[in-house]
Amino acid sequence: MTITVLMFGRIAELTGAQRQTLHDIPDTNRLQQHVTQMYPDMANLTYSIAVNTVMIRENTALTDGDTIALMPPFSGG
Amino acid sequence: MSKEHKKKNVFIQGAISPAFIGDSIAKHSTKTEIGAHSIFLGQVRNDILDGKEVAAIEYTAYTEMADEVFHAIREETFAKYPLTCMHMYHSIGVVAAGEISLFVFTSSRHRADALEACTYIVNRIKAEAPVWGKELFTDGSHTWKANT
Repeated sequence: MTITVLMFGRIAELTGAQRQTLHDIPDTNRLQQHVTQMYPDMANLTYSIAVNTVMIRENTALTDGDTIALMPPFSGG
Repeated sequence: MSKEHKKKNVFIQGAISPAFIGDSIAKHSTKTEIGAHSIFLGQVRNDILDGKEVAAIEYTAYTEMADEVFHAIREETFAKYPLTCMHMYHSIGVVAAGEISLFVFTSSRHRADALEACTYIVNRIKAEAPVWGKELFTDGSHTWKANT
């Protein structure tokens, strides 16, 4: 199972990537653990998560083809 | 009674020009049922942070999600206020200090609806639109803006 992770703003800068493909990540908690392992500074950042453009507030199961966005606080306008 | 409004393109590459805003106003002269327009213009401010001056803001967005958020704001604003029309434009890319990066335009028969709806839309865009502003300083360094 393959998911696409999109990163924006400060997070894209920190990870050096705007998009990553990951395999066999069953839910968003595990995704956060994985990302924090890869980029320890992520532990200090506040961010929200959207699964297929819908904001989530608790751990969410992931399925093949999902797109998950890691989004720092918005600063448009 | 609910009316479906088409998804519209909100993002404009670079600054929103005063000419574009003027044209947008002019286009409403045929809609003679309108009695009031309300316009909000967000302008890039030359904030000084730690002695460094902001020269520009570079906006990026999660456009796929932003399109859905803007569409929901449009639908919910029309459901909440009796508007004749509404328009929202947001810059993407680099906008220099002094230039316009957000243009919200509401029109109604009477002023209260246009005024309240305009404020409502701006607040929702600030809170909900997945857009990020990178403040570019005159010395070439940068910081990430945070909405308050």
